[in-house]
Amino acid sequence: MAIRAWLKERVPVSGDDLRALTNEPVPKHLKRWWFCLGGTPAYLFVVQIITGILLAFNYQPSPSTAYESVRYITEEASFGWYLRSIHKWAATFMVAAVILHQMRVFFTGGYRKPRELNWVIGMFLLLCTLMVGFTGYSLVFEQLSYWGATVGGNITESVPLIGPFLKRMMLGGDAYNERTLSRFFILHAAILPTLMVLLLVIHVAFLRLHGVTEFEDPDEKDGDSKTFNFWPDHVMTELKIGLVLMILLSALATIFPAAMGPQADPLTTPEVIKPEWFFYVTFRWLKLFPGTAAVLSMGFIVFVMFLWPFIDGFIRRRRPKSEISVYVGIVAVLVIITLTVWEALVAH
Amino acid sequence: MSSSEAEAEADRRDFLGKITTGAMAVGLLASYGTFAGYAVRYLYPAGDIRTAWLFVTRTETLDLGGSLDFKTPGGAPVVVARKGPGETAGDFLALSSTCPHLGCQVHWEAQNNQFFCPCHNGTFDANGVGTGGPPKGQELLRYALRVTDGLLYIEVPIESITIAAGLARPGHDACLGSRGTV
Ligand code: HEM
Ligand code: FES
Repeated sequence: MAIRAWLKERVPVSGDDLRALTNEPVPKHLKRWWFCLGGTPAYLFVVQIITGILLAFNYQPSPSTAYESVRYITEEASFGWYLRSIHKWAATFMVAAVILHQMRVFFTGGYRKPRELNWVIGMFLLLCTLMVGFTGYSLVFEQLSYWGATVGGNITESVPLIGPFLKRMMLGGDAYNERTLSRFFILHAAILPTLMVLLLVIHVAFLRLHGVTEFEDPDEKDGDSKTFNFWPDHVMTELKIGLVLMILLSALATIFPAAMGPQADPLTTPEVIKPEWFFYVTFRWLKLFPGTAAVLSMGFIVFVMFLWPFIDGFIRRRRPKSEISVYVGIVAVLVIITLTVWEALVAH
Repeated sequence: MSSSEAEAEADRRDFLGKITTGAMAVGLLASYGTFAGYAVRYLYPAGDIRTAWLFVTRTETLDLGGSLDFKTPGGAPVVVARKGPGETAGDFLALSSTCPHLGCQVHWEAQNNQFFCPCHNGTFDANGVGTGGPPKGQELLRYALRVTDGLLYIEVPIESITIAAGLARPGHDACLGSRGTV
């Protein structure tokens, strides 16, 4: 066909090349949904970019306009409430999916040699996701936005040596001021998402280079094929997840649309103040320990999380049968759940 | 040209080539570095919070142990109290309502005779000394004071952020409707 030949000359890619690229055999266990938790945040990330760009058309990042512009989005712009609610629910889901994905990788030992570096990339993605969430809530300029940013700035300041510099960079001054919101907006809508795209590309490249960790499957009969094709089989699984997510998000957005708290007031901290649920752990931690001790211990925990594949490798070289990582993981999950539930249940 | 001369010539060219490439790389890196430096300098905010000395009261109006409420131009409450009988700045105290822990605003709880910080449950006694929670042992921030000719002055920030006034919309107010005409 003429058009085909015309295209072929200008886009010199053969169907075989494409097939080779997409026909990566995928281990059988990826048929199970919990192994697709990595694809879930990636899908939600796209949802965030689309809804985020739409929100940004009407959002105005300055203390005198931000709250009113979010009110306009929520109450006046057609389907503004829907886009904003999807953005908010997808953010919640995204954090949850990243945490679950990381737990899956941890408990199946997917971070072990030779995949240590991809765990480190994943840790950066986790931190970016949390920071996008944090800066996102600050944009609405409700009470939580303002006090969250103030507390966040002062936590940053208590980091030894570079803390004061970082805080001034973050807030654009010694305290929350006229220029703070535009910094948060640029971080939220441009810098962090770009960084995340770069990290995701490296993450997936590593994934392709090493393949997903394979397992002995107890349910498997001899002679069963151990793998299936990425295209179209695995893509189908991901599409099904995408469909379910879209229905869930739309339903939640309709039943529990994003509301607005009282506007920020730099003179009064509300009597009961809480961050979003994914910061309950750090929030409770800050109440339990005095300033610098709380910040340094949290920094240390994040540091250990980054290095865990290497720590685990070191232990397993000495004691190959050691199951210590499982116990560490169980304790960590229990602590996280306890602190989160505790914070959720009490007013102070 | 003998073959050894040709070799030396080739070596020389090779060497010069490497030097030039190296110099260009250094130049390029230096210019990127300079640019990055400018960018950081641009992003690093200039100047500190602007402050001014404001008149509070005549010192004789404050009795020993007495206090008064002062408001900064931005509206932040300040408790100004007399701690000693003298006429120097050290005889007075100006407590900010900003928590020394992570910067939330404390408020006075009359029933517990303490300041309470809702962010992480910090408590302070009437003198601003931390009695519980993470800021235990720290003190509420204090503003600088000055006494001149029996007049007490305070140094406070004079800038505050502009926030949209209440979001009341003009037009019909459903609540007023039922009250009939005014
Ligand atoms: C990458 C993942 C992202 C996450 C996890 C995320 C998260 C959030 C969150 C939690 C909020 C506050 C929601 C609310 O209370 O209404 C928010 C607000 C906002 N986001 Fe994002 N966001 C992401 C990406 C983006 C992108 C790429 C853009 C724009 C290009 C964007 C633009 C906005 C805008 C304009 C707001 C303020 C309006 C509003 O409150 O609804 N976001 N985001
Ligand atoms: S900011 Fe006051 S107790 Fe943390």
